[in-house]
Amino acid sequence: MAIHEIWVYLSGSPLLALILTLGAYHAGVLSYERAGRHPLANPVLIAVSIIALIIVAIDMPYAKYFEGAQFVHFLLGTATVALAVPIYEGLGALRGRIVPLFVALLGGGAVSIASAVAIARLLEADPAIVGALWAKSVTAPIAMGVAERIHVSPTLTAVFAVTTGILGAVLARYVLDAVGAKAWWQRGFALGVASHGIGTSRAFSVSEEAGTYASLAMGLHGILGAVAIPLVAQFFRPA
Amino acid sequence: MIGGLVQILAFQGLGELASKFLLPFIPGPVIGLVLLLSFLAARRTVPAGTRLVASALVQHLGLLFVPAAVGVVLFWPQLRSHALAVALALLVSVVLTIAVPALLLRAMSKRV
Repeated sequence: MAIHEIWVYLSGSPLLALILTLGAYHAGVLSYERAGRHPLANPVLIAVSIIALIIVAIDMPYAKYFEGAQFVHFLLGTATVALAVPIYEGLGALRGRIVPLFVALLGGGAVSIASAVAIARLLEADPAIVGALWAKSVTAPIAMGVAERIHVSPTLTAVFAVTTGILGAVLARYVLDAVGAKAWWQRGFALGVASHGIGTSRAFSVSEEAGTYASLAMGLHGILGAVAIPLVAQFFRPA
Repeated sequence: MIGGLVQILAFQGLGELASKFLLPFIPGPVIGLVLLLSFLAARRTVPAGTRLVASALVQHLGLLFVPAAVGVVLFWPQLRSHALAVALALLVSVVLTIAVPALLLRAMSKRV
């Protein structure tokens, strides 16, 4: 069989996109481990860069790639439901601190949207870009659902969410030191509010207590964001 | 393990149905999450199979949003022409979103 025929066969089945997705992510995880879990060596960032370069190089349209990769994408919804387990296990950490934690969550969520949207508008970014900034501090699978509800691109929202996660994980230490937050539970919760899953895994790698509070913050922000963002966006976004 | 997967998929299905017919402004998986959370709270324990499947999924959450994030290729020209606005918005916003909850928690725990 000629190489050409093999290629035609492979690119017609979902297999190529699946191998590409899992292979690139595997490469991302290996690099992350080798870099001593440095937040800049984020596996998602590496995987996306590899796949984007390859599909552009072989001239594969994104829609074609997604046709195969949608099997992986589907599990996002399942994984969102599964977040109930870590949230349930973190609920004990709420005890005695419910009020301050909720005030911090509301404050953080509001500041996240207001600052990003205001800056992007001020610098005259495209409305499609401004809209996709709304859900960026919410964990990516929930953010994409929210994006559909407020009629902006889920893809662009996911890209902003991942970028926010990485930035938060890299910068958290300096910001938290600057504002004088010393307690691990406060540091973890703040990081979880701002940079969801990526921030949470960063928090866990520094302190168990910080990680627990970060995952609680991520979960609560996800639930709050899913309910509140579409409602608030109705009033502030010209339809 | 299969039992756990069935359970999580069933809650996802319930969530999708509820989102379609009752609460259209909340994404189905989020309703599924809340339902599963209520189920666990009522049961007061996490079934072993559910815990196994959930930890596998949550651990590799990153992999699951790769297909969507690759869509960045579609927006590349737009992102490039607004690069400064996007970079500043993301950077300033993430710094403030870390600082504000930390400051609020610090202020409130001093008073208590």
